[in-house]
Amino acid sequence: MKSLRVWLTVLLCGVLWISVSSCSGASPDYISTSKTRNIHLIVKMNKGDYWNTLKLGAEAAAKEFNVNLTFKAPDSESDIEEQVVMVEESIKEKADVIILAASSYMGLAQVVDQAAYSRIPVISVDAEVGSAKVRTYVGSNGYEAGQKSAERLIELLGGFGEIGIINFTNSSLTPDSGKSGSIDYGARDADEREKGFLNYAARFPNVKVVQIAYTSSSTSDAESLTREMLNKYPQLRGIATLNEIASQGAARVIQGLKRDSVKMIAFDSSPSMMESLQDGTVQATVIQNPFSNGYLAVKYAVEALEGMDIPERVDTGTKLIDLENMLWPENQKLLFPFVR
Amino acid sequence: MNKPKGYFFPLRPGPGKSGRLRLSSKLRSIQLIITLTFMAVTAAVAVIVSVMLYGKFANTAEENANLNMQQIIEQVNYNLELYVKGMGSIFATAEKQITSTPSIDSPLLYERMDTLMSSREDLVSVAVFTPQGQYVVGTPGQTMRMNTGLESQSWFTTAKRTSEISYSAPHIQNLFKGRYTWVVSISKLIQYRENGELRTGVLLLDFNFRTIDELSKQVKLGKRGYAYILDPLGNIVYHPQQQLIYAGLKYENVEPVLEYAYRSYLDESTGEKRFITVRTLAQTGWKIVGVAYYDEIVTTKRDLNQFLAWFLGVVLVCVIAVSVFLSWLIASPIRKLERTVKQVAEGDLNTPINVSGAYEVEQLSRRFNMMLQRIRQLMEQIIYEQETKRKGELEVLQSQINPHFLYNTLNSVIRLAERGKTDEVVTMIQSLSRFFRISLSKGKNIITIQEELDHIRHYLVIQSFRFKNKFRYEITAQEEVLQYQTIKLILQPIVENALYHGIEMLPDEGLISITAGLQDGLIIIKVSDNGLGMSKDTVNGILSGSVKSTSGSGVGVRNVHERIGLYYGREYGLAFESELEEGTVVTIVFPARPAGEAMDEQKEETNL
Repeated sequence: MKSLRVWLTVLLCGVLWISVSSCSGASPDYISTSKTRNIHLIVKMNKGDYWNTLKLGAEAAAKEFNVNLTFKAPDSESDIEEQVVMVEESIKEKADVIILAASSYMGLAQVVDQAAYSRIPVISVDAEVGSAKVRTYVGSNGYEAGQKSAERLIELLGGFGEIGIINFTNSSLTPDSGKSGSIDYGARDADEREKGFLNYAARFPNVKVVQIAYTSSSTSDAESLTREMLNKYPQLRGIATLNEIASQGAARVIQGLKRDSVKMIAFDSSPSMMESLQDGTVQATVIQNPFSNGYLAVKYAVEALEGMDIPERVDTGTKLIDLENMLWPENQKLLFPFVR
Repeated sequence: MNKPKGYFFPLRPGPGKSGRLRLSSKLRSIQLIITLTFMAVTAAVAVIVSVMLYGKFANTAEENANLNMQQIIEQVNYNLELYVKGMGSIFATAEKQITSTPSIDSPLLYERMDTLMSSREDLVSVAVFTPQGQYVVGTPGQTMRMNTGLESQSWFTTAKRTSEISYSAPHIQNLFKGRYTWVVSISKLIQYRENGELRTGVLLLDFNFRTIDELSKQVKLGKRGYAYILDPLGNIVYHPQQQLIYAGLKYENVEPVLEYAYRSYLDESTGEKRFITVRTLAQTGWKIVGVAYYDEIVTTKRDLNQFLAWFLGVVLVCVIAVSVFLSWLIASPIRKLERTVKQVAEGDLNTPINVSGAYEVEQLSRRFNMMLQRIRQLMEQIIYEQETKRKGELEVLQSQINPHFLYNTLNSVIRLAERGKTDEVVTMIQSLSRFFRISLSKGKNIITIQEELDHIRHYLVIQSFRFKNKFRYEITAQEEVLQYQTIKLILQPIVENALYHGIEMLPDEGLISITAGLQDGLIIIKVSDNGLGMSKDTVNGILSGSVKSTSGSGVGVRNVHERIGLYYGREYGLAFESELEEGTVVTIVFPARPAGEAMDEQKEETNL
């Protein structure tokens, strides 16, 4: 009787194993969408076309990969404290991943380390943060973008003249007169762009960067900075603006002045900037891929959660857009988010 | 019957063989065989049926999914055709209104065009341009931007090139101030009047994607499946993830799509298996492409799989339960039968076999019982026959006693007569006559103890003449013993033995003493002599037959022992006690049975 039972058990197990194993195939190599993930996206500011487009990209990915996306942003790009508080909140809320566009390279380093300590992966998007714990950076190469901007502007100026730069950073902590040598609280992308621009411009002895102004995150602030600059340097032949807000402010001032003598290279591709490009106020603009940045950040966040290997750095590229190439179909696709 | 009791049946296997035999007999047990066979057959059938069903169902499911998808795409295609046709008719309406208006700048035309605009949500703008790209009229009233690059835009160039209505690929509408919107443009060369003059111009209608989007949203191809629209050049007109495709984050393998107008195929270019269904719109040449994920289509397959796995599991469990029960049902009576038969084989022929269960087993048990009964009968018969035969032999032996003895006695009588001892002759003859009368006993084999004692007395009288009074004898018996029965002629061989072997060689006078008594329902007769006695070996040899008497009647005491055993049972018979130089005592023991009580008398008579 005993041997009979053993036989039966063996046989039964065998048959069951065969029937079960025939049902379950190998697991797919794409992301499983069967479970919901909580991903917190914290960017620099809650307004502006750039961040909206980034959010659109993130939302597209969230929809695709079944992500519950929590979007957070302070009112202003310079509000580092607020951003730190938001990251802390996300840690408390036990986000699965935090995607961060850091307003300050060093200012958010500590809180990112904290997140990593709480075993929450952090992915930085657009702007890097000074922490080794960041899983990956998704965004453009700021230095390269700065160089592209400088190259075109100097070309437009014929290789000589005074240039003013309007950059963005945490103006409340860093004085206008440049780096004080103490802790750098600026945003990494702003620094990189500026560095790229200055390094390129340095090759031209006749090109002189007369001023670098830092705007906080409002168009009106950028406008007044531009006016001041134009008043202060009447010989100014070129302006480079290194983010969307600064570009919009400066473009408005230049358009109002009807001063065709001032060439301007803008940054980012808001519809109003396209308008300025088309009417000739702005000669060119350096664009990034905010949609891709948002989408890829969320996608890699999910992949990181899935335990897949993700690249250490994802360069989504920059491009210089002028009147001539703005209507090329492939550029249309980059410049204007497809809104139905 | 000195053969072993299990004679009729095979002997049990020896200990050396039993180990191997037990293992293989386990494997060959009916229950196991039935269970395994039943299970194997049922499992095989279930698996085969499942596989066939699975194949069939899976195919059908796949075909259905495919068909379903094609129908959905067909439906979308149809709706889209309707939509495109609608756009065409709006374009025709606009054209007609413009051509029929005497002057292009009349307020009436504006009004009509505004009405047209408001009738369609997805109509973004209507405008007329000169072939040189100058803006003539449009609604809503907009100011044009500078640097539009209009002359090089595809809708403009195509319209100028052909007289047909043309549909553009999606592009950004950059002509008018306000917003940049993604539109599809319909354009054609038209005739219009300006201040009475007939002129040629390009009419442009821009549609946004609202309606197309809504149409496409209706497409439900599983959870992840979708439909997209491609223009004849391979530009994506509409895609649910258009922005992702534009941003280069998604990829759609459009090359095989472009090759065919009407087709369904399996695509693996993205690493995932996807079903692609292509249909083409008549007016625009747009292709509507349905994409369904294979793994979603095969969810039915997976469900089926799971169901079949469960089904198989349940079937197997049931089969096991049923087969175990069934085999038990069949095997247990057989096992019981086997056990009983084994008991029988071990010698217990009286074991009753009453096994209930299957009809065959019951019959088998009944037949076996009958067989057993028959065996018992036959065995009894054999025993009986054997005994009878033996008895017969003994009778013959017994009958040999008399002629020999008669011969000796008559010799003695002759000698006495020659010597003239008339009285002694008379006594001799008298005793002889009495002796023979008892010997004959009318042919009876059973006589009373009285008669037997008389018989031996006469014998002793005759022998005392022969041995010339070399011995004395005394016969004592309890009064009540005399009427009990005994086999006749049991004492004569013993006494003869005592005379010839014990007393004949004795220098002194011998003494033979016979006593008969009753004790505990047993007759005990003792014959003792004071003769030479026997050695232990001789004593032991007598009953086993190894010591043969060389003189006398030739009928040994062993025969007496055997006869008593045959008639009364093996436990009865003779017992010897003997000492050399001292004498011998022979004790006869058998059950006391009153005279007249027949015991095998009938059979005895018929057989003799």
